[in-house]
Amino acid sequence: MRRAGAAALLLWLAAAPARAHEPAGPPLSFEPPAPGTYTLQRIMAAPDGEVLDLDGRAQRLARFTHERITLLALIYTTCVDPEGCPRTLPVFDAVRRAVGDSARLRQHVRLVTLSFDPERDTPAAMRGYAGRRATPGRVPWVFLTTRSPAAVAPLLDGFGQDVRATTSRGHGAPQREISHVLKVFLLDPAGVVREIYDSTFLHPRTVLNDVETLLQER
Amino acid sequence: MTSFRVLGVGLALVWLVTAAVTGVELAGADETCNSPYIAKLIKGQEDYVYVWTLGVDGVGDGSDKLVTIDVNPKSKRYGTVVGAVSVGGRGEAHHMGLTDDRRFIWAGGLAEPKIYVFDIATDPAQPKLVRTIGDMAERTGYLGPHTYYALPGRMLVQALSNTKDKGGVTGIALYNNNGDFVTSYPMPTTNGGDGYGYDLAVNPRKNVLLTSSFTGYDNYMRPLGDVVKDPEAMKKFGNTMVAWDLKTMKPRKVFAVPGAPLEIRWSPKAGDNWAITAAALTSKLWLVKEDKGEWQAKEVGTIADPAKIPLPVDISITRDGKGLWVNTFMDGTTRYFDLSTPEAPKETYSKVTGKQVNMISQSWDGKRVYITSSLLANWDKGGADNEQFLRGFAWDGKELKQVFEVDFTKEKLGRAHHMKLGSKSLKSS
Repeated sequence: MRRAGAAALLLWLAAAPARAHEPAGPPLSFEPPAPGTYTLQRIMAAPDGEVLDLDGRAQRLARFTHERITLLALIYTTCVDPEGCPRTLPVFDAVRRAVGDSARLRQHVRLVTLSFDPERDTPAAMRGYAGRRATPGRVPWVFLTTRSPAAVAPLLDGFGQDVRATTSRGHGAPQREISHVLKVFLLDPAGVVREIYDSTFLHPRTVLNDVETLLQER
Repeated sequence: MTSFRVLGVGLALVWLVTAAVTGVELAGADETCNSPYIAKLIKGQEDYVYVWTLGVDGVGDGSDKLVTIDVNPKSKRYGTVVGAVSVGGRGEAHHMGLTDDRRFIWAGGLAEPKIYVFDIATDPAQPKLVRTIGDMAERTGYLGPHTYYALPGRMLVQALSNTKDKGGVTGIALYNNNGDFVTSYPMPTTNGGDGYGYDLAVNPRKNVLLTSSFTGYDNYMRPLGDVVKDPEAMKKFGNTMVAWDLKTMKPRKVFAVPGAPLEIRWSPKAGDNWAITAAALTSKLWLVKEDKGEWQAKEVGTIADPAKIPLPVDISITRDGKGLWVNTFMDGTTRYFDLSTPEAPKETYSKVTGKQVNMISQSWDGKRVYITSSLLANWDKGGADNEQFLRGFAWDGKELKQVFEVDFTKEKLGRAHHMKLGSKSLKSS
């Protein structure tokens, strides 16, 4: 059953860019508070370290976590958990579209997808994963990976992202599996984490309200 | 603001499928009673029960400690102590909570504003004390950290008291997972609020945080016999619950719930949106449920004979939301309530499980139930009634059968209080 659900979601995700106008997920079962009626706390500073862009060029992560409000997802491209990494794509699509439609918002926001599985997620693999999403648009969406597990480890530690890699030994060849808790981070232009979304709260409406709330601080 | 179009039918179907598969549900049975943000629930056989234990002068090293008990029947060390980490002092050890990634346990004492952080992932059999957070009083003025409730990357810490007058007016502190203070939220003292705190529990589907209320340092550190004889002291117990907007962390509604409502349990069943609590002094069960668009609290049941003050303390809800364990401290009885109709809980089973019983935890499948003995150092019974233990029971739906016991006095450990479950499979890679 779980595999069937995952397969269905993946099928939908594969076509997600074609229907990026649709909301990413079921309706919220609550009315989120209006932007600016609440405070997003300064949870922690985002870490910095070396990352690789889609061309394999070394960059500092800080380049992509400052100056704009940043929505950053830590993922691995082979994740099939419907409540995990695949959730980020349609939500980011929807946020990108909504922000891009707003002349007031688009200059203040960027999206970042950073892999924590550099052994499989090479720059080339990330390019394939990103597809048309990596095409420059009104709202930048940056896809990043790292050179090695050693390079990504301090970033994961800094974000408080728990990732466990295990090897399952069934009847076939050993399979490397990764378990983690989905976390998506909203950073202010100073690179401070102001919200952390798990799958429950990762919804375009909550994210957009939070982006608006941060903008109202300016 | 941007508005979104109506959800496509295909998209909705996919979501229905995935929701059914993944079961977007509140984590609730101790394994069912954790924060819904905690990953890696142990849905099979747990290997360990961690017991946050109050130090007793003259017993062992006299310090508060985290005790690890092997509870896997297949283990050669089943039912025995496999580890104990002392914090080197005594501060009325009480409750603890898991971080969202389940790598750490946060634990604290009611007599001090300290929080101890134990690493349970590097070696689940041998937790290590890795950090002590000592700035809560300085940052907030709160005393007696009680409930540790994981949010993504953060921990909400509900305190019981304050350093100024050591009464019951208190608040909630928010820390990030590194142990850095973020902010604090005072318990409401207007619109019916009494400012008291005890437990907190989140329903993320509804963006609701519920809190309950107990009493301050002046009462919980005083012998129980003295407190009940002092009319003024008896007035200083919480009589409220509060529904907060989780996102804004602002109180939305204060409910009058007399008699110190304590542990709060949301039904873990997908689609349920109600919570239950037990009021200690009135021995009543209360249901918090949304009705006609507004959250309401309603008395729905009685636990034992309230005139005898049985003192319901801990409760544990089954993962399907259809059953509730209730421990009553004074008569040492463990009771099971049928919650099929949450508006009308019905006691269907009871058993004396100790001379005094406090905390109760169950496995995800509900087949294993663990009970400890200590309420508070100065509220526990004396003499031969002061049993201190962790007892493991098997539950077949009809009968609780004790399968092991660890005598915490004989083992020179102290007073056994709060429990969390552990697993070898959660060892860090």
